[in-house]
Amino acid sequence: MSTNLTESATQPLGAGRGRWLLLAAGLVLVGCFILPWLSFVITADQRVALSLTGLQAATIGLVETTDGGLLYRSSFWLFLAPLAGVVGLALGALNLFPGRSAPWQGLLALFISVASAVAVWGAFAASQEVAQKEKVAVEAQWGLSVAFIALLLLLVGALILLREASSQKPAFRAALDALNFMTPGTVLVIVFFFLPAIILFILSLTDLSSANFSEPWTYVGFDNYKRMFSDRFFPKILRNTFQYVALTLLFFNVGLALLLALLTAHVSRRVGFLFRLLWLLPRITPSVVYIVMWQRIAQQPPYGILNQFLGWLGVENQPYWIPEAPWVFVVLVNGFVGASFGMIIFTSAIEAIPADLIIAAKVDGAGDLALIRDITLPLLRWPLLFVVTYQTLSLLVSFEYILLLTNGGPGLFTTEVWALTAYKRALQTYFGSNQWAYGAAWGFVLVLIGAILSVIYLRVFRFNDLVQEPKIDVL
Amino acid sequence: MRVELNELTKRWGNVTGADNITLDIRSGEFVAFLGPSGCGKTTTLLMVAGIYKPTAGEIRFDDRVVNQVAPKDRNIGMVFQSYALYPHMSVRQNIGYPLKLKKSPASEMEQRVQRVADMMGIGHLLDRRPAQLSGGQQQRVALGRALVKEPSLLLFDEPLSNLDARLRLTMRSEIKRLQLDLGITSIYVTHDQVEAMTMADRIAVMQEGKLQAYAPPNELYERPRTIFIAGFVGNPPMNLFDVQVLREGERLLARRQNLEIELPPERGGRAAGKEEIIAGVRPEDISLIPGAAGSSEGAQGEVFVVEPLGRDNLVDVRIDDLHLFVLADPRQPLKIGDPVRLHFDGDKVQLFDPETELSLLWT
Ligand SMILES: Nc1ncnc2c1ncn2[C@@H]1O[C@H](COP(=O)(O)OP(=O)(O)OP(=O)(O)O)[C@@H](O)[C@H]1O
Ligand SMILES: [Mg+2]
Repeated sequence: MSTNLTESATQPLGAGRGRWLLLAAGLVLVGCFILPWLSFVITADQRVALSLTGLQAATIGLVETTDGGLLYRSSFWLFLAPLAGVVGLALGALNLFPGRSAPWQGLLALFISVASAVAVWGAFAASQEVAQKEKVAVEAQWGLSVAFIALLLLLVGALILLREASSQKPAFRAALDALNFMTPGTVLVIVFFFLPAIILFILSLTDLSSANFSEPWTYVGFDNYKRMFSDRFFPKILRNTFQYVALTLLFFNVGLALLLALLTAHVSRRVGFLFRLLWLLPRITPSVVYIVMWQRIAQQPPYGILNQFLGWLGVENQPYWIPEAPWVFVVLVNGFVGASFGMIIFTSAIEAIPADLIIAAKVDGAGDLALIRDITLPLLRWPLLFVVTYQTLSLLVSFEYILLLTNGGPGLFTTEVWALTAYKRALQTYFGSNQWAYGAAWGFVLVLIGAILSVIYLRVFRFNDLVQEPKIDVL
Repeated sequence: MRVELNELTKRWGNVTGADNITLDIRSGEFVAFLGPSGCGKTTTLLMVAGIYKPTAGEIRFDDRVVNQVAPKDRNIGMVFQSYALYPHMSVRQNIGYPLKLKKSPASEMEQRVQRVADMMGIGHLLDRRPAQLSGGQQQRVALGRALVKEPSLLLFDEPLSNLDARLRLTMRSEIKRLQLDLGITSIYVTHDQVEAMTMADRIAVMQEGKLQAYAPPNELYERPRTIFIAGFVGNPPMNLFDVQVLREGERLLARRQNLEIELPPERGGRAAGKEEIIAGVRPEDISLIPGAAGSSEGAQGEVFVVEPLGRDNLVDVRIDDLHLFVLADPRQPLKIGDPVRLHFDGDKVQLFDPETELSLLWT
C-alpha cells in the first residue's frame, strides 16, 4: 500500500496526460503572450514599440515598410547580423575548433568579427534607407537595434581575440577559462540587462517625444537630466521612493516574510502549508482586481468593509480611507504581495537546516529566542541577502499598484515614486505628449541607483565570505 | 546523576518509535543502546534529551521527573553522528556556545574552552571553522562542546559511525577514558556491537522499539535470554538450528539428522524430551578436525567456504542442508570440499523454546 503511494508520487506524469498538459501550457503561452505580441507587431503601435526591446522595434519598422525590395534587403541584413553573432559566440565560447593552432583560431575570430561588422553595417544602411524612403522616424528604433547588435558582436569579437591572444600565457588563460564557464550567464546579463540599459541611455540623450516623432530625432546631451534634477518635485519624489522601498521592505518583504516563515516552520506541516498558500493569494490575484479589493475595504460607509466593522463598534461617519492615509495603504498593498516571496525563500531555507543542529542548540541550552538568534538567522544569511537585494530592486522599479491605487496622489506627488514618474513622463499621455526621452532619463538614473545599491549590499553582507572556498582546486 | 526510564513510550500516529522502555542507569554508569537500524535508539535518546515528548511513561533524573523540563534546563551534553557543529561559528565559538548561553563571564569562558580543547587535542584549531577540519577533528570539537559545561548526563548518538575504522578505534578508547575520568553518566547509542561490548558497563538491546535485554556485556554474551539477543550479540554471530533433545540412558543428546551434541544434564534438563528446540552454538565453541573420523559424536560435514579473518579462519561447514560457521586455526590447510568433523562444546550450548523465543537456560 505504502510502496504504491510513494511510487505514484515519484513517477513522472503518464505519457498521455503529460502531452495534454504540455499542449494546454503551450496554448496558454500562445494565448497570453504570443498573440498579444503579434497583434502589437501587426498594428505597429509606436508606444508599444518603444516599450519593447530594440530588436522588436526593428521588426515593427520592417512591418511598416511598404517597399517590397527594401523590406527584403533590410530583413536579410537584419537577420544575418544576429546569426553571425550567434555563430561567433558559439565558436568563441564553446571552443568548437579545439585542434587548430592559435593563429588559425585568431584568423577565424577575425573573419567572424569582420563578417559581423559588415552585417551590422548592412543592417544600419538598410535601416537608413527605410527611414528615408518612408519619411518616418523609425530611425531611432533602427539605431537602437543596430546598437544592440553591434555591441553584442563587438563583445564576441573582443572575447575571441582576447582568448587567442592569451593562449600563450597560462595564468591569463586560466582566468579566461573561468570566465568561459560563466558564458551562458554572461550572455543573458548582456542581452537582457546591459544592452537595454545602454539603449535606455542613448534614448535619454535625445529629444524624442510624441510631439516631434515624425522628424528625425536630435541629440540633446544631458538636457533631460538637467531638467530632471531641477524639477520642483524631484526631492519629493526621491523621498517618496526611499520611504516606499524602505518601509515596505523592512516591515513586509523581509520582516513579515521572516515572521511568517518562522511561524509556519514551527507549526504542523499541513497547517503551515495552507497558511503560506493563503499568503500567496495576493500575488496571484490580477493587480486590478487586487486594488479594487483594497478600495472596497477602504470605501466610505455603507460600502466599505472596514467602515462597516467600525460602524458596528459605534464609530460612525468615517471617511474613504485611502486618501486619508495614502502611505499606509501604499505600503500595505505592496507589502501583502511582497511578503510571500521572502516567506517561501525563508521557509525552504529554514527547512533545509539540519535537524541535528537544532537539537544540538537546544541541548546546549538555547531557548526559542536564542535558537532563532544564534542558529536560524545566521544560517539564513544568504537567503536574507538575496531577498533584501532582490526585493529592494523590484520595489524600486515597481509602480503598478501605486498607479492603480492612488496614481501618485492624492494631490500633487503625495505618493508618487520614481518609477511611476518615469512611466508617466515616457508613456502616460500628459497633455497629449509622451516625453519618451525624458522618461528614459528618469529610468536610466533608476537603473544606476539599483546597480549601486546591489554593489553596496554585496559589500555589507560580505558576500565573498558566504561563498565557500571551492573544494576542488582549479588546476 | 541517576537516570530512570519508566514504561517510556513514543508513538507518532500508528508508528511506534519506543515501546514501554523501563531501565535505570546508575550514577556514573556507561550504558549502550544497541540494536538494528530503526529499533528506536535515537527516539529513546531524544526523549531523554527532551527533544521528543514521551507519549507515555516517565523519565527521572535522580528522583526528579523531568518529562516537562525543557532540553536547555536538563544539563545534558550530546554528540551526534553528523557532528552537528554550527557551521557559521569558529571552533572556539562552537565549544563556547553552551557557556555563552549560561552567560558565563568572558574570562572564565575563554579558560574553560581552552582547557577542554587541550584535553581533546584540538587546542591549536580554535580559530578554524568546522568546514576546515577533518571528520575526526570535528568529532573532537563536538565532544568538547558536549563536555564544556560539565553536564550531568552525556548522550552519544552513533558518534563514531562516520569515522574510518582506525580512527574509530582510537576515539573509542578516548571516549571511554574520558568518561571514566570525569565520571559522567552516559548513554551511548550504537548499532556496532563491538563498540557496545567494549565500552559499556551495561547494554540495553532493543528491537522494534522494545527493550530486549539490559545486562552487562559478558552476561549478554554468555547468557542470552532470547533468540534475538543470541543472534544479535557476538561477531561472527551464533549458529542457531533446530534440534531434538533426547535422553539415551544416562546421556542427554541434542540431535538432528547426522549431528549430535552431548549436553550436560544441568544444561539440558528443561529441554529434555521436547521435539523442537533451537540450539545455539558460537563459532568459537565448535572445534574442527580435518578428515573423516569414526565417532558418532559431533557431526560430519564438508568445507563450503573459508573466510580468512587474519587471526582466525571463519569456515562455513555444510552438514547436509545445514550451514554452520566455525572459527578455525588458520594454519590448518582447508580447501573447499574437504571433509571435516565438528566437535561441540556441550557446556556452551544455548537452548531456546521456538515458540516463546525464550532461553531454556536463563529464563
Ligand atoms: N519523527 C518521526 N515521525 C514518525 N516516525 C518516526 C520519527 N522518528 C522516528 N520514527 C520511526 O521510529 C522508529 C525508530 O526510529 P529511530 O530513529 O529511533 O531508530 P534508530 O534505532 O535510531 O535507528 P538508526 O540506527 O538507523 O539510527 C523508526 O521506525 C522510525 O521510522
Ligand atoms: Mg538513530
